[in-house]
Amino acid sequence: MMENRNLMRPKTSRGTLGPVQWFFQVISGVFLVFFVGVHLYLAHINFGHPIAFYDSVLNNMHNPWWLAFYIAFDWIVTYHALNGVKGMIYDMGINPPTRRVVAYGLIALYIVSIIYGTALAIAVSHIAVPPP
Amino acid sequence: MASKAGVLEWFKFRGKGIGYFGYAFQRLSGVVIVFYLYLHYIVLSNLLRGPVTYNDIVGSITYGPYDIFVAFDVLLALVIFYHGANGIRLALNEMGIGLKHNKLFFYLFEVVSMALLVVFLYYAWRFIAVG
Repeated sequence: MMENRNLMRPKTSRGTLGPVQWFFQVISGVFLVFFVGVHLYLAHINFGHPIAFYDSVLNNMHNPWWLAFYIAFDWIVTYHALNGVKGMIYDMGINPPTRRVVAYGLIALYIVSIIYGTALAIAVSHIAVPPP
Repeated sequence: MASKAGVLEWFKFRGKGIGYFGYAFQRLSGVVIVFYLYLHYIVLSNLLRGPVTYNDIVGSITYGPYDIFVAFDVLLALVIFYHGANGIRLALNEMGIGLKHNKLFFYLFEVVSMALLVVFLYYAWRFIAVG
């Protein structure tokens, strides 16, 4: 017997975000498990030398691979966060004109956030590490 | 289709089962993480103000006088681990995996994530305790 899988699916924002944005929400979430895992390890464990204070952060960001990692992390986490906020607001049953305002507002916030985050990461990567 | 549910609707659990609990706390944890994300932007911006300012901030929220933030960090880690584990369950559901045993999957993923949280907190605490 064919099962209706849609009836079995848990409650999410799939319906309000639409299939494409929901798909990207899921995919970005899966990527974030990796990014957050690496970041938590690096910032809090890192073989007993977590990257927390000024010099260690600067040293880390001078490595172009870590710089790229954190810029990608910033873009993905901010997308996932603001797309999630959009789903929550949409689920409150707002009308279509308000939805458009919310959507454009969040797109603007996303663009400003990633430009700021990227500029901050690049600026930090260019600061010389102070001598010990 | 919109559910026309306000934020308070998230917390009406009666008769809705563990799936709804997972849904409501996925959202609540998401809101907490979004708040923290922007707080993190602000704290990291202090890197541009030099080593003294940045290290003072990190030191004060780790070793005092504002070390209450360590407790907030523990709660934040709890929220992140919960959100991630439940999110993986939802991603698997999208592929049709675990739909029949949703309840079991919820508990399984949360137990594993809480075990990983304990390991993470142990190692993170060791750094703070050593200094």
